[in-house]
This record gives sequence, structure tokens and C-alpha cells, in this order.
Amino acid sequence: MLRWRVSQLLVASAVIAATSGARAEDARFPPIRLSPLATAGVWTLAQLVPSPLLVTGSSHVGGGVRWQITPFVYAFGLAAHPVRFFVIEPVARHAGAIELYASPEWACCASNDGTSWIGRVGSRVYLPIVGYGETLAWSAGASYYRASEGDGAAVEVGAYTLFGVLGFTVTVAPNLKRREVISALAIRYF
Amino acid sequence: MALASCGFVGRILTRNLSAPSEPRKVEQKIEDPRRADARLAVLWVGHATVLVQMDDAFVLTDPVFTRTVGQVSPRLVEPGLDPIHLPSLTAVVVSHMHFDHLSYDSLGMLEQKTKIVLVPPGVRSSMPHYAFESRELDTWESYEAAGLRVTAVPVRHVGGRWALDQAWNSRAFTGYVFEYHGLSVYFGGDTALDEEKFVATRKRFPALALALLPICPTEPRAFMRRVHMDTIEALDAMSLLGAERMVPVHFDTFINSDDQPGDCPRLLREHMRERHLGPDRVAILAAGEQRVLIGK
Repeated sequence: MLRWRVSQLLVASAVIAATSGARAEDARFPPIRLSPLATAGVWTLAQLVPSPLLVTGSSHVGGGVRWQITPFVYAFGLAAHPVRFFVIEPVARHAGAIELYASPEWACCASNDGTSWIGRVGSRVYLPIVGYGETLAWSAGASYYRASEGDGAAVEVGAYTLFGVLGFTVTVAPNLKRREVISALAIRYF
Repeated sequence: MALASCGFVGRILTRNLSAPSEPRKVEQKIEDPRRADARLAVLWVGHATVLVQMDDAFVLTDPVFTRTVGQVSPRLVEPGLDPIHLPSLTAVVVSHMHFDHLSYDSLGMLEQKTKIVLVPPGVRSSMPHYAFESRELDTWESYEAAGLRVTAVPVRHVGGRWALDQAWNSRAFTGYVFEYHGLSVYFGGDTALDEEKFVATRKRFPALALALLPICPTEPRAFMRRVHMDTIEALDAMSLLGAERMVPVHFDTFINSDDQPGDCPRLLREHMRERHLGPDRVAILAAGEQRVLIGK
């Protein structure tokens, strides 16, 4: 049901965006398009939507949020033009791709019992499972993190549905004390 | 207007949620669609999916065989032809990237049936890799193979697949004309009425034996008129294109408007009566129905 609700929101947004673009044009024969400014605005807002985290340490459980920026994707599952920078269509990731990403996180359970930032850069490979990745895809990756407790390496796996808008990832960093396992409800649009 | 948009979207979502989970069955599905007695035959699979036979050439339009489109909208009626029963296809065409026209899974079902899928500009970079060749055709550009010529013709619609990408897919929608053995068939994909574009197409293709034209969605009209024709506009389009015959498509398969199933063909029949157009000029097919339009 959650999958349906989120997909409905996605389609609703698509319909509204498409028709809103239409109304801004000439009344009789409008060429329908989103303006570059609107496109950039929607993309920026989409990047600002955080993914909620569940932080699990040896003796702590808490929350957090994560954002992601994707400077580069090589989409080997596409029929043409596999290279993307920053603006990544869902199929470019989930039909099969390798991405480089940077990810700021604001997560609980730091060594001082407070919440603190974790900075992360990493790489993931995405592979489609069902519907050329639109219905179901998975990923595996590794990252380098820097936090108040120090820096180190992490590995992760993930699964994604609904054109990749919704996913679940688990990141494991044995040396990130009290925050060894971070699960994320990954929310991403472009 | 934004509130009206939200209201419309809410209504569509509600209707899709309450749609039957099982599509209506198509009785006595055709298992061998090749017609030895036909110069021109069409089989309406559903929505914008049509199998066009021109002598021994077969073209499939906007193939969608899946139970849902966009993982959201369920089929109201099952596909009128199972993909396994498709003949070897001379070409497959995709008019644009919307979920009800470009179905990744459905194209995957055709990997053994066709060697070529034609798409509008920009679409290949949003398509998975398949076993068949995919080729982009810009307006008035043609593809030729085995005596079949497919030409991309201008229509008025909107590109993109996930809303945001319409910004850079501003040319990613098209219609097509298929020519084979002296026959010409027009496929409009999705289009609003655009006199200039239809007349320009007629000038280049003055003897269209058939136009496959969308007649739905129509309501709310203020919302739809910029990208979709209604039934009377479809008849206008047929006239502007100078087509001898018309087969309506893009109705009663998915819920994507305020129209109720049956509304569009009913209105089309009313307008046909007003214009004295009989079934010899406008053939309204049921899903899975095949019609020989020109015999041998």
C-alpha cells in the first residue's frame, strides 16, 4: 500500500508539472515545456528531501537523516548516452549503472551521546531485478566516511522500487563506534 | 488552477485505486493475426497498441502488454493479443515516453519478434538496452527496410517520462506514417489537434488509406485540450489529414481522465452520425478485434 501511495504521489506530481508547464504558454498552440528555471528549482528541491535513517550501534538505537548528491553516473544498462552528471533519470540508475556520490548525514548516537554530522563519499553499482529496474533493483557499494569519531570505510547494500524513488539501504561501518549499522529509507527523485 | 489540478489528480488516483484488480477478459483472442486475404488489416490490442498489416509487412505501435502502466494504473481490459502470438514484426514504433506508450517490460517481450524499434529524438537515452536495434527518427526523417518506409511526422504533445525530464525531452514525441506497397497508414500516437502539423503531413502523404487517431482522454477539457484530441477533433484530424479511414485508439484501456469507460466511443458515434460517416470510414474496434480494411 505504501508503494502505491508513493507512486500515486509521483504520478500526481508528474501530471501537475506537465500541465502547469502547458498553461504558461500561448493559449492556442502552446509548445509545452518546463522552463529551465522551474526544472532547476524542482531538481534542487528534490535533492533537499532527506532520507530518514535508523542508526543502530552496539548499545544505541536512534535516528538521523541523509542527503545525497550524485556528480557522476555511468549507466551501462541504457541503450545510448550512458554518462550523466548530477541530474540522473531513474532508468539511468536502475537499469544498471555505477555512480559516484557524496552524502552528508546528520545522525544520532555519536560518542558524546549527541547528534553529529557524518560526511561520506562512495560508489555504488545498481543492477535491475524486475521491470528493467523500474519495479525492483538492487545495489552494492562502498564508501569512505569522516565523522567526529574519526574516519574509515563502510560497505552497503540496497533495494529500490517505484522507479527508484523509494529504497532501503543498509550501511555497515565496523569502526564507526555506536553507529556501526545505519539503515536508510532512501527517497530520491532524479 | 493548482487546486483544480490537485482535484483532478486526486480523482484519477481514487478511480485507479478502486478499479477492478483483474482486467476484463477478451473472449476468443486471435492466435494467428496474419490475414492472407488482407492488403490492409488492423488489430486493436488496446490503448495505443495496434498491429497493422500491410500485405506481408507488420508494424506494431506503442506496445503495452503489461497489467499496469507506471505501476499505478491497472488495465481495464486485458491485451487483445498475446505477445507470443505476434507475427515477426517489420518494425515497432514508439510515439513518446509516457508510461502508457513506452513500456520497458512490453518491449522486452518483443526482443525475439522485431529487429528494430523506432522512437522520437532523445528517447534512446531513457531506454534500457535490448537485443533489438533502437533508432531515433526526427520529424520527417525516414527509416526503410524490406520495402517498408516509416517516417516520423509532427504532432502536438509533451515529452518526458518522469515530469522533470520533459524540460530536456522537448522533442521526444512524434507520429508516424508507414508506407508499404503503395499503402500509407498514419499513427498519431498522442496528439492534440494541430491543423498546421496535420496539413503539413497531408501535403507529404496525400493518400493516407488509414489514420490511427487517439480519441481520449477528453475530460476535464481545459486540462486535456493542449495535449489530447477529443472525439470531434479526431474526426477533424482525419479530415485535415485527408485519410480515407480512421480507427480510433487510446480509449477504455486505462483510467487517465474524468472520462468513464464507453464515453469516448459513444461520443464518437454521435459525431459520426452528425457528419454522416459510416463504419466504412470510421471503424471502432473492440480490444482484440481485427478488421480487414482493404482486401486483396
